[in-house]
Amino acid sequence: FQGYLPANVDRRESTLQRKRKEYFAFVEQYYDSRNDENHQDTYRQIHIDIPRMSPEVLRLQPKVTEIFERILFIWAIRHPASGYVQGINDLVTPFFVVFVCEYIEEEEVENFDVSSLPEEVLQNIEADSYWCMSKLLDGIQDNYTFAQPGIQKKVKMLEELVSRIDEQVHRHLDQHEVKYLQFAFRWMNNLLMREVPLRCTIRLWDTYQSEPEGFSHFHLYVCAAFLVRWRKEILEEKDFQELLIFLQNLPTVHWGNEDISVLLAEAYRLKFAFADAPNHYKK
Amino acid sequence: MAQTVTPGTSPEGPRPSYMYKVVLLGSMSVGKSSLAYRYVRNDFRELLPTVACSFFTQMLNLDEATVKFEIWDTAGQEKYQSVCHLYYRDAHAALLVYDITNKQTLSRAKLWLEELEKRFLPNEIVIALVGNKTDLAAEREVTTEEGEEFAQTKGLLFMETSAKSNHQVNDVFMGIVQELLRREKEKASKPFPHGRSTVDLRASEARTRCC
Repeated sequence: FQGYLPANVDRRESTLQRKRKEYFAFVEQYYDSRNDENHQDTYRQIHIDIPRMSPEVLRLQPKVTEIFERILFIWAIRHPASGYVQGINDLVTPFFVVFVCEYIEEEEVENFDVSSLPEEVLQNIEADSYWCMSKLLDGIQDNYTFAQPGIQKKVKMLEELVSRIDEQVHRHLDQHEVKYLQFAFRWMNNLLMREVPLRCTIRLWDTYQSEPEGFSHFHLYVCAAFLVRWRKEILEEKDFQELLIFLQNLPTVHWGNEDISVLLAEAYRLKFAFADAPNHYKK
Repeated sequence: MAQTVTPGTSPEGPRPSYMYKVVLLGSMSVGKSSLAYRYVRNDFRELLPTVACSFFTQMLNLDEATVKFEIWDTAGQEKYQSVCHLYYRDAHAALLVYDITNKQTLSRAKLWLEELEKRFLPNEIVIALVGNKTDLAAEREVTTEEGEEFAQTKGLLFMETSAKSNHQVNDVFMGIVQELLRREKEKASKPFPHGRSTVDLRASEARTRCC
């Protein structure tokens, strides 16, 4: 639950109710302003982007579109420093799917008609998804503010980390003039969602949630492990163009839990070897 | 101006080979990625909004030359533009894409042009203005004439396209290639053209790729 619920089990239900109420108060307060002049660009873009989201899930159901639009618009209005950034729309999906899956079998999710759920259940799912996404974004907000300093910094850190853990891969990329920003920007901006299937993202984020600073700090080690995972393919590729196309289209379509488990194990190993030793980052 | 890959040594004959970097610029959801996707894969589908930049290549075997296009498809959202200028560095051509059903996107394309004019010398880069989504002609907000006129006054190539119905997408890229090749020839026929020093400078500079 993204740490927005109290540790005390007895207080959970009431907090949950309060948070849900609070969310719908936001909706009441702000949602009508979506067509106001100063907000209509934000709303328009959200409206355009939602049908363009990951086609794996519940796509284009009017009910889902409606819920996602509200969640994203409210978040954008409440966070004017960053506002809506393309990519944030992706981040709602894993939470939404996990909450929906509490009510149905996981296999059904692709063909499930969301509007068949009771209205109250849907409202709870919507509010809970909003708070989870908010909490997630709180930890990485500088990823989405002007000039995206968080991402620039993390890509730089990834580069330094990789140069320490696999100098050969690092040098190979450097020799062929491949820049980390050219492929890893998206890894940071979308928390690897665009690089692996949704089922893997959910598994991955589940671990991030249980790690302190999972979505910011630990993610870096996962990215490093993810890059090095392809070292053989990378080293075989001797051409800038082929390398970049490979790195932007990594073959993970058939990935499952096992692949993520291996990736996470490697990330933990790296973290253990390199964490809290910032000098290890530096050359 | 182009990076010559293997000049005149292709097994098929003395055709020169060129590598050109083309960058797609324009507002969000005007169809930049769809144009690239249509051109490279000859297909159309709903695409996820581009994050930062996507990269494609395309080979062209023409009578007079072999051309490899390096296509840099950029994200339209202004938020990403902190990294965008890194993508159009060293570009040989740019497609300024707007959506004919949304007038604002043409204004944005004009701003992109100003940006390019600041960063490139005149004639250093081939620029095409592309009005996309002709399949949505019923919702048109920008007339063909309006786009055409603007392109003419600024010396840009101009074309209206539909990535969805595959209307003139190939033609845009062909137009660009032909203009690039024409400029190569012009350069070759005038061994000491005005401004040659600029060309020399670029050629002697180690070509460093940037993002």
